Amino acid sequence: MSEPVHALSEPFELQPIHPPPKSFLRRWVFSTDHKVIARQFLWAGLLFLLLGGLLAMLIRWQWAYPGEKVPAVLGGFLFRESGGVIGPANYQTLFTSHGLIMIFFAITPILIGAFGNFLIPLQIGARDMAFPKLNMLSFWTFALSQVLVLLSFQARLGPAGAGWTTYPPLSTSVGTPGAGQSLMVAAIFVTGVATIMGSINYVTTVIRLRAPGMTYMRLPLAVWGLWLTAILNVLFVPVLGSAALLLFLDRNFGTQFFIAGAAAVRGGGDPILFQHLFWIFGHPEVYILILPAWGVVGDLVSFFARKPAFWYRGTVWSMVTVTVMSAIVYGHHMYMTGMNPLLGKGFMALTLLISVPAMVLFIDWLLTLWQGSIRTTVPMLFTLGVIFVFGLGGLTGLFLGDISLDLYLHDTMFVVGHFHLTMAAASFLASFAAIYFWFPKMFGKQLDQRLGKAHFWISVVGITLVFGGQLVAGYAGQQRRLYDPFQYQFLAHLRGLNRWTSYFAFTLAAGQLLFVWNWFATLFGKGRPAGENPWQVGTLEWTNAATPPAHHNYDVIPTVLHGPHEFADPAVRAALGRDWLGQAERAPGPREASR
Amino acid sequence: MRAPRLVVGALVLAAAFAARAAEPGFGLPHDASLDGHRVDELIHFTIWATGILFAVMVVWMLVAVFRHGPSHAPSPARGDDRRSAIGVLALAAVVFLVVDGNLFFHSVSDLDRHFWNYAVAEQSPGAVLIELNAHQWAWDLRYAGPDGQFNTADDVVSLNDMRVPVDAPVVLQITSTDVLHSLYLPNFRVKQDAVPGSVTRLWFQAKETGVFEMGCAQHCGPNHYKMRGVLTVLPRAEYDAWLASASADGRRGWDPDDASAHWGWAWRRTEP
Repeated sequence: MSEPVHALSEPFELQPIHPPPKSFLRRWVFSTDHKVIARQFLWAGLLFLLLGGLLAMLIRWQWAYPGEKVPAVLGGFLFRESGGVIGPANYQTLFTSHGLIMIFFAITPILIGAFGNFLIPLQIGARDMAFPKLNMLSFWTFALSQVLVLLSFQARLGPAGAGWTTYPPLSTSVGTPGAGQSLMVAAIFVTGVATIMGSINYVTTVIRLRAPGMTYMRLPLAVWGLWLTAILNVLFVPVLGSAALLLFLDRNFGTQFFIAGAAAVRGGGDPILFQHLFWIFGHPEVYILILPAWGVVGDLVSFFARKPAFWYRGTVWSMVTVTVMSAIVYGHHMYMTGMNPLLGKGFMALTLLISVPAMVLFIDWLLTLWQGSIRTTVPMLFTLGVIFVFGLGGLTGLFLGDISLDLYLHDTMFVVGHFHLTMAAASFLASFAAIYFWFPKMFGKQLDQRLGKAHFWISVVGITLVFGGQLVAGYAGQQRRLYDPFQYQFLAHLRGLNRWTSYFAFTLAAGQLLFVWNWFATLFGKGRPAGENPWQVGTLEWTNAATPPAHHNYDVIPTVLHGPHEFADPAVRAALGRDWLGQAERAPGPREASR
Repeated sequence: MRAPRLVVGALVLAAAFAARAAEPGFGLPHDASLDGHRVDELIHFTIWATGILFAVMVVWMLVAVFRHGPSHAPSPARGDDRRSAIGVLALAAVVFLVVDGNLFFHSVSDLDRHFWNYAVAEQSPGAVLIELNAHQWAWDLRYAGPDGQFNTADDVVSLNDMRVPVDAPVVLQITSTDVLHSLYLPNFRVKQDAVPGSVTRLWFQAKETGVFEMGCAQHCGPNHYKMRGVLTVLPRAEYDAWLASASADGRRGWDPDDASAHWGWAWRRTEP
């Protein structure tokens, strides 16, 4: 379908060129430039990634050496009151904060905040977001939510401790009194507001500000992933917001929406209602975190196999199908709550069905790799890593979508291993694929490739061993969230497994220091200049914008003629001497109608 | 490029052997139940099926990376023709029917005929009915006693100590006083949440005598990990003797004015 002619002039009128702001405050702090906001989100996300990682290491320490003193300064500093030992009350705050920080305050800002902001306008050929001021407000609202998280660590009765799912009645004052849990619930609400502002912006920008000729079927897959994620956020984060608000009222204003049992007055409310609200958001959230990753993978396998993405439309429609279905499978988180058996079976059927579009995605990626000319650059290695860990995570999901297997596996470490491989490891590796790939465009320099390769190998091997170890522990029956799993005799023989899994986790964490070093050394040290198009690809940000891009991105808004994956065309090679063609570049010689 | 791959390979192998040397036996816990093998068999089939899929994927990626490297001429194929699309969809459909389809039909049949078939379990002769009240951080159990009525003077009440006869269905009705808990019997492959304000159900049947563990699977506060109980499977005669003597003890300790001790409820019969 070709774009109607009037679209050609519209983006020009909508997007005049503004000069960059002069003052430091307007330029770097309260900036409305999507590229600056992207970098703000990236810094904020990476810092909280370190914090969430530290919490994970403390959990792993506890599972390796339950009740033993945390070594070095760390124990004495963090657990002074208990003599350096993690107590059961400390422990529950560790895994609660770890989960919430990683999901809402690390992966979300990196994948969606940073790369959504950076890529959407650049890759669709726009000068900025549709609502730049809303964009700024979104970041600073998000920053406020991070402050609330940090404040929760200062609360007198400790930070939140009801698990990342925050199930009531435990998450009400019945189970977790004190300001820590309230601050965390407030932080979730506030970050939800920030996400909604950002997502409205993304959705609108993709609809309204695509360059002339940038049809939906010529969008880079990364933009497709980010756009679908934004749609899911707009639809379902408000549901989470309402759940958080009602929970906040239950905690602080004496309502009883979710309280039942001995603490209920005059009938009370229904704890299961919260689970419905939470998972109507919570299951789409899994796809919210993974769709941008899928998009990046879809583009990068094509870029580095130097051939067109296999069945681009099939990939796009698979992602759309997953997006639509993501909200109607959520009941599989609640099979064991006493759900109506018919409802349970319906959710099981839908859950298994969602594996079909996911399989189509995988097959498309694998066929893109086939008969390619694969360059194992650092971003490509991370991309292959995503396929590897998401393959493992997706396949283990089949076990958990099934009710009769959940009779045994639900709430075990098998679940923990599964969801870490999918929403944590895959989105983590995809974040790094994106960082290594677009760092040159963001900062004008190349990260060190040797350090990057070492970082990749430690990450992918470490992730496989750590979350594989969790799968094995869950298969042997170990429940999640146990302060000391070895209280149970049937788990006593898993001490060695848990200890080794922890050693792998410590190695994985130590390997991230390679990235930290690479990041700072490149950013503040010399760093190899990136060049205009270091990866030799044809998307607009590499072909039509400076490196790093000007304040207004494009002097002339490009007119798009092709899709994002124009590789391996013999006519192009003959005429231009290279294997790629820009999205806005006219094909040489006679050529069938552009795609 | 070659050296890092070798190093990583060696690391993986070393790790695999080290983990193996640490403790033997990472398999499923011993199965002491009538129906647990249904779970085990389905898990094992799915491990094989997904294992094969994963292996195919990894081998495919390795072959692509090593055989179709920088010196290989890339194919310009786009895979956007009808044949490619049908091929991809057909492959996905076959995998779906074999793996997911098998999971779905086994699961539905196992649930309907066994795990969630409460009516038959409850009405079979010799069935044991137990009410369970979970709270931070222990399990209160209640047996009806000789009169068959719950919340009466001859009830047997115990803490973290479930005794059941071998070869008889045991049906539990479960609730919670404070927060969510989840009754988890690893050796019987069953689990059910305890939800304040409502009653959930679970049944199982032991096929052998012995001492097993019951645990909590749902985070319920700092001492979640200590919510451990003991499940003892006794020969029928021993069980009956225990129940009779415990009921007599219960009758002696009965205090009609202690409302908080009478937390039981009238059994909610399942319609067949």
